Amino acid sequence: MATNNKKISKKDVAKLLDIWSQQFSVLVPSKKENVAGLAMWDGVDIGFLEWYRNTVIPPKANFLPSMEKMFSFKKDGDGYHIEIAQDEPKQLIFGIRPCDARGITMLDKVFTETYEDPYYVSKRKNTVLIGLSCTNPYDSCFCTSLGLKPTESADVDLMFTDIGDEFLIEEITDNGKELMGVASLVKQATKADDAKARTVKAAISDKVIRKLDTKETAKKLQACFSDKDYWEKVAAKCISCGICTFLCPTCFCFDICDELVKKQGARYRGWDSCSFRLYTNMPMENPREEKWRRVRQKVCHKYEFYPMNFDVIACTGCGRCTRLCPVNWDISQILSSLPASAASRSEK
Amino acid sequence: MEQELRKEARKLLEEVNVDYIVGFARGSLKFSTTPLITKDKEEVASLVISPFMVNNLARFLIEMPGRVGIVAKGCDSRSVVSLIQDNQVIRDKVVIIGVPCSGLIDIAKVEKLANKDRDEFDDITLQGEETVVIIGGQKTKFPTKDVLFAHCLGCESPTPKEYDILLGKPRDAIGDEALSRREIKQLEDMVPEQRWGFWKEQLSHCIRCYACRQICPACFCERCFVEESQPRWISSVSQWQDNLMFQVIRNIHVAGRCTDCGECERACPMNIPLRSLSKKMSELVDETFRYTAGIDKNEPALMTAYEHVEAEDLIM
Repeated sequence: MATNNKKISKKDVAKLLDIWSQQFSVLVPSKKENVAGLAMWDGVDIGFLEWYRNTVIPPKANFLPSMEKMFSFKKDGDGYHIEIAQDEPKQLIFGIRPCDARGITMLDKVFTETYEDPYYVSKRKNTVLIGLSCTNPYDSCFCTSLGLKPTESADVDLMFTDIGDEFLIEEITDNGKELMGVASLVKQATKADDAKARTVKAAISDKVIRKLDTKETAKKLQACFSDKDYWEKVAAKCISCGICTFLCPTCFCFDICDELVKKQGARYRGWDSCSFRLYTNMPMENPREEKWRRVRQKVCHKYEFYPMNFDVIACTGCGRCTRLCPVNWDISQILSSLPASAASRSEK
Repeated sequence: MEQELRKEARKLLEEVNVDYIVGFARGSLKFSTTPLITKDKEEVASLVISPFMVNNLARFLIEMPGRVGIVAKGCDSRSVVSLIQDNQVIRDKVVIIGVPCSGLIDIAKVEKLANKDRDEFDDITLQGEETVVIIGGQKTKFPTKDVLFAHCLGCESPTPKEYDILLGKPRDAIGDEALSRREIKQLEDMVPEQRWGFWKEQLSHCIRCYACRQICPACFCERCFVEESQPRWISSVSQWQDNLMFQVIRNIHVAGRCTDCGECERACPMNIPLRSLSKKMSELVDETFRYTAGIDKNEPALMTAYEHVEAEDLIM
């Protein structure tokens, strides 16, 4: 019996990517650079299906790059001639995990809903996302505590799930349906395939062992906001580097700077981080001079302020901040240790 | 040794007027530790000693008020001495609890050798020249030298020379300088164009998270040159030329201060082999000035000392 879903044999994935390559720049998980990230598919290698758990560099870098040129300018008589960066090519990201796909949805809220950022939008509208269910979540993953599942996503166009020799394919969007239309390698899934997927999915969700109760988090954060002693203790081992924010799939802060040499130059923007002391530096004062205030900002932005604006926690439980932190500063541990009741201690 | 450490730390807080203890506690990831910074005498019960205590804790002294009891491996202790020489730390304000170091396990090397991630290992045990790794109940043995950090292989003082309390028995250096500087040798063997290409490629990966600087006990400037805008030394645009400049200047700044703790390279989320720069710089400092960082707290810091015999024509 046929279902709404499709399926493809694992050995045909390369052929499918090949077909898509005619229309898109196809990006897949790759270890060819120093660390795992997304790279242009080489037309052959699908080895990532074996080793891939998640990338170090989150796919947000494909929409909000660590550094991008916004436009270049040149002195032209009395004024400047400005050349705006080109529109982006069509790209297809294959293998994005549900947590990272949700991260992009969170960026959408900032860069498309509240304000339309042309640099972000030009990449976003030209990209299709093909999700891939996790098979082996890290012990630092805690997506299930944030309303996500390692095997489900509403934030992708198509969702692939490993059911043995085949992938079950769920068509999430119309864009996704269209992608299936061109691929003759794809078959209709049966009820038995769907059942197999359900079993696989349940087993994988159970593998996400780290749990965090997020129901009261925003309230607790509000209550302990002025508890300087608590935040000082929590912040003590933080070294104020930018790893946890730069490599977070939902952090979106950037800085803009101009490069000018001999009457011509360019404007760039790149990642910035609230962990840096200079981030809030102003001529007369710095409201986050001390480390504990910066650490508090990072936690509160994700778990209290962003939810106030968008009604959702700006964390997908991908666990990168914990895995990559040089001092093992663990956000889920911190959130579990929040003081239960309002503190009477004052901030000053 | 752990019990002894916990007892000593508690005593320091209770009897010796120490405000904070800085040491290592078990981390939240498998085979990890995390810095423990506490004034709570009950909390010192979670202090640990393990081959995974990777951080150089001297780094925290720079930002800590009061009197601090610090757990120090050989490299931490040298960094403390270097900070004393630079007047960043007052000797009387620290109590150094020396811990002889067995060499630290580089989990990234184990991951590479076993082709697994750290959370997939059941157990990793250092047993002299062999290290036993258990994965899914299966035992695999690796030569210990293959799983230790490169800087540990060449470390000359695994047992701290500067301390107030020394726990356990002193340990001998592993003394495999050749293996310790293998990556550096590979770079030395390249022709300059190749080497240039290597660093150009590597530094194009830099994302300017500044973890290398932030983790480093020798990087104690209140304001880093990177953040200066008048004059501006390097661009804040992360491009390889400026990233290279950042590393070059950073290494010149830590010359005579770097104790080869390897933390810059370990912290780098982009796996840029930063120790190949810092270790080479330490070697050049040794060759040029016959100076090793963090050995003698009474000696002036290399870059702050000047003798008449060093006079050159260009200096009046």
